[in-house]
Amino acid sequence: MKAGNSRRRLVDRVYDFVSALLGSSALLFLFMILAVLAVFSLPSLVVNGLNFFTTVIWNPGISTTLTAVRGFPAMSGASYGMLVFFSGTLISSGLALLIGAPLSIGVAIFLSMIAPKRLSASLSFFVELLAGIPSIVFGFWGLLVLAPLLVNVVEPVMAQYLGFIPGFGGPVYGYGLIASGLVLALMIVPIVSAISRDAMSQTPIELKEAAMALGMTNWEVTRKVVLPYAKTAIVGSLVLGLGRALGETMAVAMVSQSALNILPMTVYYPINTLSAFMAVTFDSALTDPSGMEISSLAELALVLFIITTTVNIVARLLVRRGFISSAEHLVQV
Amino acid sequence: MKMSSITNVKGKRRAISNPVVVVVAVVLLVLGGGIGYFAHTGSGATTTVTGQGSTTTVYSTTTVYSTSGSGTTTSSSEPALPASLPATTISETGSTLLYPLFNYWVPGFNSTYSNVQINTAGTGSGIGISSAAAGTVQIGASDAYLLPAQMNQYPNLLDIPLAISAQMINYNLPGIPTTTHLNMTGNILAQIYNGTISYWNDPQITAINPGVTLPHQIIHPIHRSDGSGDTFIFTTYLSDTNAWWSSHVGFATSVSFPGLATAAAYQGNGGMVQGCQQTQYCIAYIGISFQSNTEAAGLGYAYLQNRAGNFVDITQANIQAAAAQMVSATPPNEALSLVYAPGANSYPIINYEYSIVSKTQANANTALVVKTFLNWCIEPDHGNAASYLNKVGFVPLPSSIATLSYSQIAQIGP
Amino acid sequence: MSAKEPSQPARAAVGSPNSIGRSTRSGIRGPPNYGVRRLRNAVMTGLAVASILIVLIPLADIIYLFVVRGLEVVSWPALTTITVGTGVEFVGGGISNAISGTIVLIGLATAITVPLGLVGGIYMAEFSDNNRFSEVLRFVADVLAGNSSMVVGLAGYFIFVLYFGWGYSALAGSLTLSILMFPYIFRTTELALRKVPNEIREGARALGSTKSAMINRLTLKFAMPGILTGILLSVSIGLSETAPLLFTASFSNYNFNGAFLHNPVGFLTYVVFVYSLLPSTSAHNLAYLSSFLLITSILAINVVARVVLRRFSKV
Repeated sequence: MKAGNSRRRLVDRVYDFVSALLGSSALLFLFMILAVLAVFSLPSLVVNGLNFFTTVIWNPGISTTLTAVRGFPAMSGASYGMLVFFSGTLISSGLALLIGAPLSIGVAIFLSMIAPKRLSASLSFFVELLAGIPSIVFGFWGLLVLAPLLVNVVEPVMAQYLGFIPGFGGPVYGYGLIASGLVLALMIVPIVSAISRDAMSQTPIELKEAAMALGMTNWEVTRKVVLPYAKTAIVGSLVLGLGRALGETMAVAMVSQSALNILPMTVYYPINTLSAFMAVTFDSALTDPSGMEISSLAELALVLFIITTTVNIVARLLVRRGFISSAEHLVQV
Repeated sequence: MKMSSITNVKGKRRAISNPVVVVVAVVLLVLGGGIGYFAHTGSGATTTVTGQGSTTTVYSTTTVYSTSGSGTTTSSSEPALPASLPATTISETGSTLLYPLFNYWVPGFNSTYSNVQINTAGTGSGIGISSAAAGTVQIGASDAYLLPAQMNQYPNLLDIPLAISAQMINYNLPGIPTTTHLNMTGNILAQIYNGTISYWNDPQITAINPGVTLPHQIIHPIHRSDGSGDTFIFTTYLSDTNAWWSSHVGFATSVSFPGLATAAAYQGNGGMVQGCQQTQYCIAYIGISFQSNTEAAGLGYAYLQNRAGNFVDITQANIQAAAAQMVSATPPNEALSLVYAPGANSYPIINYEYSIVSKTQANANTALVVKTFLNWCIEPDHGNAASYLNKVGFVPLPSSIATLSYSQIAQIGP
Repeated sequence: MSAKEPSQPARAAVGSPNSIGRSTRSGIRGPPNYGVRRLRNAVMTGLAVASILIVLIPLADIIYLFVVRGLEVVSWPALTTITVGTGVEFVGGGISNAISGTIVLIGLATAITVPLGLVGGIYMAEFSDNNRFSEVLRFVADVLAGNSSMVVGLAGYFIFVLYFGWGYSALAGSLTLSILMFPYIFRTTELALRKVPNEIREGARALGSTKSAMINRLTLKFAMPGILTGILLSVSIGLSETAPLLFTASFSNYNFNGAFLHNPVGFLTYVVFVYSLLPSTSAHNLAYLSSFLLITSILAINVVARVVLRRFSKV
């Protein structure tokens, strides 16, 4: 690219400009999404105020008469609180991470440190393919296979033997939270294990050989050399997986049992998440004459956007300080 | 990056072009929006109707109506259907209760009018109403009529009954044969759904079910997660029979069900059947068109207490008895709850199945096709014939109601 | 990973992970506590094996379930007829409407996204010099990629269906999809171009080539396998979306009729979502068939993508 001795030709400038223009459609997309959400959530922000973030009840109102609240029409008796969906989103994703993290690190260790090369190659190929399975298919499977299994077999046993752990005791009400957590865990394992495996197998061979020369066992090499080396990438991949779990819609909508107006107290509760609730409620919200429910849904979307963006920034920072670029996972997954 | 260090000097000059890029992008956005906006006002696809001018719409519909020439000025009899229709695509979406019936109707309609495409979708009454209001579909299907506030918001929308439906109260009670039908009242159902009654052997339930041994098991009340006319008529029944429900929850296509750990929500009538089948000791409300499915799933259904105090079965005769009580009360705009009708044999949860249609369609062809299809659906020798309705357990509209529907359909125009 | 594998065989030859493990275990006389440490090694190895089994069993079950059920119900009529009420079952027939709609939606979305993402990626790798603006773009693309598709679908409904007045339509659906697909093509293109050695660029410029010609004739060619991989993977992202299409494309029981506006179009994930909840065998069969088609086409795309990358990669 020694451009110094020759003038940039016009065609190059045009290319530069046009490519920058097309590339900036990213800005355009983001701007459109944010603008629309901001415009539509404005009434909710004004009318619901802080109550939106601190209350549990989501009630579109029972009266058919409209009243004006701070200049916006609203149904009398209406109140909108996001806590059910907010907590459901965080709890189900947290559960997914709790289950998925050890599993995916175990998978990564198996693939990079234990399995023979042939097996490792074909298994990693398979695991990565699974990242592409549509979430709706995961949901369908959860409904067909997982939910009956949980409610009839697993949960009664869990309640009986794990009851001493807080949150695991009490009556078995439903399968919503466990099923959502399990399905989400299954969905993030391929991503997390692919990135972790990649990072672990990039550990310089000299380090591993030196460790082995000291007489370390395979696990000790993994534990003392490989895992510390890949730590940043593993943490980054976990956060990326968390981001995916937080935003997941359809699989959760199919197995969460769509809780309303109640916070989960044990793992046997039905739950609801921000995106799943938006997906199933959006249509009926459009029939609200005051328009306040749709505005509140837009505010939910804004909240979800802020959560996923925050998680994404954290992942970026973590991954960047490591040795893989954040874009590389896109190619892999 | 190596590349950047080489050409660092150039970076500054190019940085100047970047604000320009942003400006151009914003201009493109505004342009795109403007083009889109004019395209849509030009095509007149959406109904952004403000409060003014119901007289103008009436005027326009009457003028166009004479051109379509189906001659429905005679108010009593059914309108004659045209021999053929222009090739047109129209869309229906909404009620999952009506969805099976539409899927039976469309092939029948197409056997006469093969060049008309009618898309059907079972998405819930909520989207049926909102899509018709937004103009994204021509026919919205709904188990619920338009509430006064909705009628004010969308003065252009009509709610036109197509048939009469009913709703079962189903339960999954292992040990109790499905041939045994529990007695149930709206008041008890309301208390089950708000958590006051939480066990099947609650004294209130056992008192009205002598001879049935009910288990000491938690009741799982399940409801719809999507906006649904089934929820609308079910909660109407609860509101009519329980004061707490009426003042705290009310009735709508989606209401704020009291938060219970035992409750769960599922999507569509189909989801309700599956959910209830999976959940032992559940109770659910499911549209009658899914009766064969609830039977296959091994779910029982209850006899419901009507206004006269009798526990009645969900038979055609009992549904018709209830409908007959409400015929004279039906206003010209046909927005009326049929729930909890008087009469000794009236089944308490029945409703008109509505098509929600805008008075002003995109063009004359679409209007003609929509009108012809709706008329076809209602006519006793076509869509309202027993061969269609019996498959889903619906009963035909009484003739005076059909007449009201015909005159509402006549208001549709371009 | 697969992008890097061509450069790895040398390393693997020195000592594969496998050979490390073996040499450790074959140590005859170990340091103190060797028994305990070997036990711990065995336990951890067992846990790792257990975790891959735990992961693979449900995932294999998913694939097995839908492939087996799919093969049971797949037939020529099921693929070539539209969804109709059959009179006996209220949803029956085939899913050619969903197949044709999916092809149109994905095709259109790809046609919209590829120019944007590809040329945008060229800017990032070849013109931007990593300036502030390109960093913003990269960040924004990452935010878009990490965003919930539901949020994009909601925005797509408001913008395309309502504000632009396109109704439920192929264009509204594909534009919403292309917002979701864009960041993937954008970032993989940049990444693929950055992997092209700088010597190639310098050589071309030294011979007096314009930058444009250098990009079009040389770097793009070298990066093409990587770019194609990115496009294919973004197609599989688009194929698996449901929520955003529910509110922008709706659904249609008829084959795509050539109209891009005001006409809803069918798509495969809708069939899975809605028909799986209908208590009807024929509806379930259509849902199984759709799941089967989705899984097989996504697997096929992934395989093709990897083959492209491995076979044609020159850098």
